[in-house]
Amino acid sequence: MELFKKKIESAFSGVRVSIPGRYRMVINAGKDEVISILNFLKGEGYNHLGIISCVDWPGEGELELVYIISAYMRDNDTYDDDCKANIILKTRISREKPEFATAINVFENAEPYEREIHEFFGVDFKGHPRLTPLLLEREYEIPPFRKDFDTRKYVEEFFDKIPFVENEDGQK
Amino acid sequence: MRKRELELYFGPQHLGMVGNFSITLKVEGDRILEAAANPGYLHRGFEKLMEQRTWIQNFPMVCRMNVVEPDSMEMIYSMGVEKLAGIEVPERAHYIRSIYLELARVGSHLFGLWAYANMLGFDTVAQWAMYHRDLILDLFEELTGGRVYHIYIWPGGVRRDFPDGFEEKIINTLHTIGSCVPDYDAAFFNNRIFYERAKDIGKITREEAKEMGATGQALRATGMKYDIRKVEPYAAYDKVPWNVPSREDGDAYSRVWVIRDEMIESVHMIFKLIDKMPGGKVYNKIPNPFKWNIPESDAYVRCESSRGELGLYIVSDGGDKPYRAHFRTPSYPHGLTILEKVLRNASIADVGNIMISLYVVAPEIDR
Repeated sequence: MELFKKKIESAFSGVRVSIPGRYRMVINAGKDEVISILNFLKGEGYNHLGIISCVDWPGEGELELVYIISAYMRDNDTYDDDCKANIILKTRISREKPEFATAINVFENAEPYEREIHEFFGVDFKGHPRLTPLLLEREYEIPPFRKDFDTRKYVEEFFDKIPFVENEDGQK
Repeated sequence: MRKRELELYFGPQHLGMVGNFSITLKVEGDRILEAAANPGYLHRGFEKLMEQRTWIQNFPMVCRMNVVEPDSMEMIYSMGVEKLAGIEVPERAHYIRSIYLELARVGSHLFGLWAYANMLGFDTVAQWAMYHRDLILDLFEELTGGRVYHIYIWPGGVRRDFPDGFEEKIINTLHTIGSCVPDYDAAFFNNRIFYERAKDIGKITREEAKEMGATGQALRATGMKYDIRKVEPYAAYDKVPWNVPSREDGDAYSRVWVIRDEMIESVHMIFKLIDKMPGGKVYNKIPNPFKWNIPESDAYVRCESSRGELGLYIVSDGGDKPYRAHFRTPSYPHGLTILEKVLRNASIADVGNIMISLYVVAPEIDR
């Protein structure tokens, strides 16, 4: 891992790499470098995209995109150190104008994750072939997984419109 | 005759569909030209709800994300919380967790076998599988009080120790189920009809599977023995010897055979774990749950559910609730990326066959 850390740092100048534990690596990268880092990692054998996640940090006005990458085994039945490793690649984008490049060309299974992040956090992935709704049935003014989405207010506004059933005494 | 393209909705109300899931098919005659998975019928926003409940309050919720096998969800959330808070788990609890998770795996595979056999018209086999799953649920009921949702694994261990004589009950139940394996083989796995219906259906190569993020049976059926229990051992999986079953062809037939072999391997593993089980306490005390703040950090943990790699990216901002929890469920790439791809050029009669052999569970996708 230490060797690989040096290799990443020499290949990309703007990244900060840390190793928080055994088989764990965190890369903080600028948003322009992410796709080339993903390509680089894939070329180095880290060919399994586990998940793309997104975290909202309203205090800093940023959304954090998190790519978790690990490796399949090199042959079919040896469990070496590479496949134990998890690389967490993080980048921050603006919350006001959330735009990012798609990773579909590098990892095919990025497609549904990016669709989900588009729906829940409002991130616009440039080059994504179908950013259509995936799980939700309607569009929201504020993307629902952002921290400033008020769930209680939404429920009251949306579901209180259904009138109460009154019984014979006129009580609700 | 002029050929016509039709749009066909397969599910959520369809006899061949198991679960709240739908696929929009574009067909020409019996051939599928294009398939679009259409999830969301079961979206409950659990990940958002989790941000508003304390660390311990989330346990009854995470298990409901996966109806078929809730236990691995408890496990992954416990692993995440333990990693963030730095909690150690006693040795005996590791063994109990492994036994419990393997029982859950057998139960889940029997449920999967029910769905698959039912879809192919093997109703008798399906009923056997359902009955045998029920025997495992009886064990869970005695151990935890719940049949489907158990909430048994907690941070720091498990909720309580095995009751007296519970090990023998597990062994007896598994012997009962195991004694029927020859019947299952004769009626289903070695049946020519199953072979004809499943061979070369929904085939993916190893390279395609890796490219599309496959894990679990979908990948192991292509010959790669990728299993998180071996790759990054957790609980007590590195304490006993066991094999990862795999097949070479990558079709529905291989995937269902891998499921069968896994059940048998799990049963053997449970016997070995029971033999080696140490004594001692089953949980380490955790802080008062009402005043439990976890330091600011994030972590990614993963384990092997009955369908493949289950992951959790969890973030704490130093408070008493998770700041963000995002689950990587195995059905996500299987049901959205791979399913859409392998359905192309398949026939309508094979849609259910392919979907269930990929072991797609809708609540896991929707969360």
